[in-house]
Amino acid sequence: MEQAVNDSVGGPPLRKIIHVDMDAFYASVEQRDRPELRGVPLAVGGGGPRGVVAAASYEARKFGVRSAMAGAAARRRCPELVFVSPRFEAYRAVSAQIRAIFESCTPHVEPLSLDEAYLDVTDAAPAHGGATAIAKAIRARIREDTGLTASAGVSYNKFLAKLASDHHKPDGLCVITPAKGPAFVASIPVSRFHGVGPVTAAKMKRLGIETGADLLARSLPWLECHFGSSAPYYFDLARAVCHRPVRAHRERKSLGAEDTFGEDYRTEADLLPQLHRIAGIVWERAAPRGVRGRTVTLKIKYADFTLNTRARTLPAPVRDQDELFAVGAALLRAELPPPRGIRLLGLTLSKLGDDAELAEPIAPELPLL
Amino acid sequence: MQATIERAALLKSVGHVQSVVERRNTIPILSNVLIEARDGGLRLMATDLDLQINETAAAEVATPGATTVPAHTLHDIVRKLPEGSQVEISASDGKMQVNAGRARFNLQTLPRDDFPQIAEGELPTRFALPGATLRQIIDKTRFAISTEETRYYLNGIFLHVADDGGPGSPSPVLKAAATDGHRLARVTVPRPEGAEGMPDVIVPRKCVAELRKLLDEADGDVEVSLSATKIRFDLGSAVLTSKLIDGTFPDYNRVIPTANDKLLRLDPKSFMQGVDRVATIASERTRAVKMALEHDKVTLSVTSPENGTAAEEVPGDYSAAGFEIGFNARYLLDILHQIEGDTVEVHLADPAAPTLLRESGKSAALYVLMPMRV
Repeated sequence: MEQAVNDSVGGPPLRKIIHVDMDAFYASVEQRDRPELRGVPLAVGGGGPRGVVAAASYEARKFGVRSAMAGAAARRRCPELVFVSPRFEAYRAVSAQIRAIFESCTPHVEPLSLDEAYLDVTDAAPAHGGATAIAKAIRARIREDTGLTASAGVSYNKFLAKLASDHHKPDGLCVITPAKGPAFVASIPVSRFHGVGPVTAAKMKRLGIETGADLLARSLPWLECHFGSSAPYYFDLARAVCHRPVRAHRERKSLGAEDTFGEDYRTEADLLPQLHRIAGIVWERAAPRGVRGRTVTLKIKYADFTLNTRARTLPAPVRDQDELFAVGAALLRAELPPPRGIRLLGLTLSKLGDDAELAEPIAPELPLL
Repeated sequence: MQATIERAALLKSVGHVQSVVERRNTIPILSNVLIEARDGGLRLMATDLDLQINETAAAEVATPGATTVPAHTLHDIVRKLPEGSQVEISASDGKMQVNAGRARFNLQTLPRDDFPQIAEGELPTRFALPGATLRQIIDKTRFAISTEETRYYLNGIFLHVADDGGPGSPSPVLKAAATDGHRLARVTVPRPEGAEGMPDVIVPRKCVAELRKLLDEADGDVEVSLSATKIRFDLGSAVLTSKLIDGTFPDYNRVIPTANDKLLRLDPKSFMQGVDRVATIASERTRAVKMALEHDKVTLSVTSPENGTAAEEVPGDYSAAGFEIGFNARYLLDILHQIEGDTVEVHLADPAAPTLLRESGKSAALYVLMPMRV
């Protein structure tokens, strides 16, 4: 039936996409491994004065504790909140288990993070009794193999599959058929749309757009007038249209590191050693993988949490750690003295390629050095 | 302080010093020019802490004294004062008055004692260069100076002396070189008296640019004094002092080809115009122009996926084996702009090897250009 509807409009064959997302992943792993933490409002992450919540258990979420919240703010909302340090080896082990489960269903798996992935089961679905049956089987096997729960969303594109997995969280399964897609999108707040962040959501609210239905009511020219080149994307989302493919081998686009300091810094003398250390971390990650990049981006977070980023693209890939630091330092010096204290610095390498790809640039250099 | 000066003389001096002053400054006094009235003249000074300029202009000084005012503002004011007017400058109570004709300005000042000055230290090497020679050195090399801050040691012109200019040129020389890693330019002139034993130095790009502007108005000799860390150019009424780039310039001689066996001779003007025409459609990013060499003929061509194609034949003397090579059109034009004679020699080896360009074996300047893959 779905197939027939789709064929009648002559579009591409209908896809079957599953989005799987572990429930409160880090926190759930901690509660699984440490029974005394079960039923307790729990935050994984730094509980110190400058820590950040990496994940919150459902008990903590009832108090309004969310991931990426400052530790101090989380404690204000939930004074009895228990903080534990993250154990990334444990999370990576679980991640490998669920990845194996996904890959036993289809090779078309696009991991988004340790605990979240898209699966394109268009080809696999007929042999397994349909996409919904696959999603049910995946959830059952995750529970069996890891002792943890996952939520899954099934639909005909990535945008809807992700909205669906979030819809019946935790431990839920939600299917959005093509017939229901547009109505579903119309009913939910735009702030939950992939690609609509807090700033865009606030702007849309000022323009009177709060739900998918509000967005649907706007014309493409009107959206272009307010959102420029992003307008066609929002226009499509409002119509539950999303053509993004599931990419099994997503290429790494950037590689970086950042750090929040114990106190706010203002001077070159305080900031440069920190930047030097961060450049070292980035290079340690890049070098063994043969990853090389031409663009260096410096991220600055000020004491009032405002962000500033500055980037420079070099004619040739960054040669070594010293050059990475030198470019970062040049970008940083241009921002000094800072308007406010600086609490975080980050360095990212992008425009990546491996040594072989970048070995022969289009404009070769004189053999000077 | 109280002094009177002709508007034209003041404009010239303020024009020189304000161009050293950066538009954005974190230290407020660096936006200012120091003005000092003393013995029959005004002395003006500005600095960005790496480069400092001192100007003197004849003026009638009634009361000696000194103060500092914003350089760009003062320049704008003097530019707009009536031509031929006499400008009265006086300072008191933290303000400086500028009066000319019926116009009155009252400018905020900062104390002269806060004005930073570069400590020159000893400048043991001293020699004189004709202004025209210095102009030639700068014009024929500065376009190749790197703007890449991470390779700071390429951000200037490298000056060094040698006891001879290589095979067939036994007399001592002064060489100036600049490169950005894609092209290299070098000028060789006879070593001036007093330059023997001078340290190798890298003169920063900004100093080069300011010096070149001053040379437009100076005809006589320029007194050059330097140490391993500072350099001073004395042009008479203007003196420029700069810190030198603290770094090691790479051994650039290694990239100057000596065995390129394919020689192409062209008329630089028709070559330049041809490159310029076909490059019109080259993509902004690569600017690649292809040269197909055949017997006594070069075909210049550009293929752009976005724009289309262009081709032009240029006559030339060429008798070696035919082949194709690509260059960045802008780099090629930068070099051809500096060729003054009616012939340019292009010494080639293969499509991936550094290529040498010069007027002839006797010319003071030579250029090396790295080909592009096309």
